[in-house]
Amino acid sequence: MKINTRLFGEVEISDDKIIIFENGIIGFPDMKKFALIHDEDAGKGAGIRYMQSLDEANFAMPVMDPLIVKPDYDPEVDDELLAGLGHVTEDNLLVLVTVSVPGDLTRMSVNLRGPLVINVETHKACQMIIDSSDLPVKFPIYEILQSGKAGV
Amino acid sequence: MLALSRKKKEAIVINNNIEITILEVKGDQVKIGIDAPKEVSIYRKEVYLQIQEANSEAVSAEGMDALKDLMG
Repeated sequence: MKINTRLFGEVEISDDKIIIFENGIIGFPDMKKFALIHDEDAGKGAGIRYMQSLDEANFAMPVMDPLIVKPDYDPEVDDELLAGLGHVTEDNLLVLVTVSVPGDLTRMSVNLRGPLVINVETHKACQMIIDSSDLPVKFPIYEILQSGKAGV
Repeated sequence: MLALSRKKKEAIVINNNIEITILEVKGDQVKIGIDAPKEVSIYRKEVYLQIQEANSEAVSAEGMDALKDLMG
């Protein structure tokens, strides 16, 4: 299917790339269909991709692999909460965190408390809230990215 | 909003499949127990609001062009 996006214009998304968030994104329950889009130019080095809504062209969230900025990230998740995604194993589970990129880049952060969890086999996904106050909603990443820039 | 008074160990039932019990009352803190089907999401409201705000901020991505310059 062809979809319109604010960031990339018209993009062709094959059906097998569609990711379904049955309960939507937290605070945006109507945002259910998404696709992960790579931008060759954007955030090279930071490994940023976009979770682009197929329902709403203006809705795209920059996302990244949390292990790039927090190598020991391993949130405890109740298996029951993942039951809706189909049979989840270590191999078919993709965990991404949303990235806030404000005008002042030194305030860039990732949300470690509300990761996006995707079963790459069933293409079902959800946003979880991790019940641990140790994981910040705004984990600063500017300095981490700067210091690791050459190595990533 | 419906307001109901409950004592310790009393409960309310919502929609035949959700039961909320008052477990403990200590000063201004109340511990509640929730029995609900697993597909029902339950969050502490202040955390829910923080995540919602973080999602909105992520979508606005004001600094993306500046980041491209920085990383490119």
